[in-house]
Amino acid sequence: MPVSRQASAFRQLERTLTRRRLLQLDPRMRGEIALLSLLIAGFLFWQVRVPLDGLTRARGPLAGTAVIVVAWLTLAGLGGILAGTRHVRCLEAGPAGPEWLALPCEHGPLEHHLAWASRSRAWWLVIPALGVLAAAVGLMPTWWLAPLAAAFALLLYAASTLGCAIAYRAVRITPRKAGLHRIEQILSQAAPRLMRRRVPSPDWQPAPAWVALAAKDLRITLRLGSVLRSVSLPVALGGLSLLAWQIPGEPATRHFAAFTLILLAAATLAEWLAMLAGSDPFGVLRVLPIGVATVWGARFAWGAAGTLLLVLGQAIAARELAPHAWQLFLIWSGAATLTIATLGVNYGVTLFPRADLAQRLLGLALGLAVVASVMLPLSGWIVLLAAVLHSARRLPHWSRLEES
Amino acid sequence: MLGVSRLTRRYGGITALDDVSLEIAPGEIVGLLGANGAGKSTLLRTAAGLQPPDAGTVTIAGMDLWATPVEAKRRLGYAAEEPTFYEELSAEEYLAFVSAVRGLDAPAARERAALLFGVLGLSGRTSEPVQQFSHGMRKKLSFVAAVLHRPPVLLCDEALEGFDASGALAAKEELRALAAAGTAILFSSHVTETIERLCDRAILLHRGRVVRELDRSVWGGPPAGPSPLEREFLVVSGSTDG
Repeated sequence: MPVSRQASAFRQLERTLTRRRLLQLDPRMRGEIALLSLLIAGFLFWQVRVPLDGLTRARGPLAGTAVIVVAWLTLAGLGGILAGTRHVRCLEAGPAGPEWLALPCEHGPLEHHLAWASRSRAWWLVIPALGVLAAAVGLMPTWWLAPLAAAFALLLYAASTLGCAIAYRAVRITPRKAGLHRIEQILSQAAPRLMRRRVPSPDWQPAPAWVALAAKDLRITLRLGSVLRSVSLPVALGGLSLLAWQIPGEPATRHFAAFTLILLAAATLAEWLAMLAGSDPFGVLRVLPIGVATVWGARFAWGAAGTLLLVLGQAIAARELAPHAWQLFLIWSGAATLTIATLGVNYGVTLFPRADLAQRLLGLALGLAVVASVMLPLSGWIVLLAAVLHSARRLPHWSRLEES
Repeated sequence: MLGVSRLTRRYGGITALDDVSLEIAPGEIVGLLGANGAGKSTLLRTAAGLQPPDAGTVTIAGMDLWATPVEAKRRLGYAAEEPTFYEELSAEEYLAFVSAVRGLDAPAARERAALLFGVLGLSGRTSEPVQQFSHGMRKKLSFVAAVLHRPPVLLCDEALEGFDASGALAAKEELRALAAAGTAILFSSHVTETIERLCDRAILLHRGRVVRELDRSVWGGPPAGPSPLEREFLVVSGSTDG
């Protein structure tokens, strides 16, 4: 097949894949994505509008445009990094799709197609860019907006293409084989990189089922990169919340920083718990003689352990507080962490095996709780507890959930 | 021992199982035959509790699978057609986990697992993460996990597909031993020869319905040992393994 025909076949494939992926999103997911996009764009609008207004009034629309161009360059740079890192990972682990080396593909169209697949995630940066662009409406001549939007699209395309090109050159090939094109060498080394790895023999100790599940969760967390990264965040944030008590200045600042970091640690702990539920292969748990109480109990045990560690750490770090304030702070922090962790467990278990959906709903519920708290103090608790109760109502349905 | 009564399962507008009923007595090995898409896997997945039926009931050793799932699944073993595992765990870690969840006696389970790994030719690989396993090795691990607790009811969905000849022979021996000890086995395959050699009875499924039930007298002959070709394979693999 001539190169031009192959290139056109790849373009057709890319169009079909894009269409299919959009159609695969169920209406609820589309709604959630739209809502999240609106929140992100709205947040950026809110952050950018006032300073941009001040700047254009003081120095004219050209100064405002310069700020937008800087934002464009920053976002495009981020897009390039996103696309590049993804491209390296794809090329090293083996890209999605058929066994490319088994097909009579020309090198150029294949390289372009693989880069296209890696670039796709960078286009999410259009959402914050829209927020920035919306902030410029009315502050500069309207006809400037369309060229600015087009410029961003071109910049993002160029940056993500450059990121992929750099990534393509950055993939290490060992050993190099003479006569093979670079893409052939990369693809041929991607697949058989599995090395024979061994792990120590396990203890065949009798244990209650929930303990066996919790122990298995720990093993999975330590061995699965994505889950390990996910648990490292609450650990880091929990550590930072302890260090927050060392911030110089007003005690109220320290108090606020520590509590904010505790909430963030709790949210990421809940995200890990939801992700853990998603790491269970559907067929494994479903044929074992365990019920929802066992599964929920194993995950809740980790949530409770995380809460306990955090509260113990705070009990030591927050000694500068008066005894009554210290007690209140510990109770408040512990209750918030445990409630948020429970929400993560509930979503993870009731939406099994859809961990992605569980994580999105968790994010939405926590976002709503924060918004409610900002609008009316303490009302976030009502939102949070309502979400916990609502998700708990679905727990009895666990045994009838089906593989999606 | 295994009772399936008027089981119906639909996927959207497609009826994959239509009013299926069958009974398997203790010690009986029943083959489930059918073309691709006949509903074999749907029947086994529904009987294993992986998906609820739209109508009908499944009883495992007298326990209703959907009314008392935990108790029923204690008495059930299921070897999947496309088994899934915790890929990061080793085969032995996975079985230790399954054994703990099933509440088995740990030393006895460990000993039995080692024995089964040995006869199926997995002995040297049990400390490797499952993600390094080939298709056949994954099927063997699924089989070991399904029979580890000597369940009263065993469901095998194309369980021996992907096994090498010696592994398949050892697995068939294990199935016969389980049946001799009273296990009711439902064994699905699209290979008639496997059913003929292993099963006491065969059920033919077509378009989600049971269309025929046959017993061994129809195809005759006692369960034979290795075929001449299998004997040659055993000789060769035995000599190359040392």
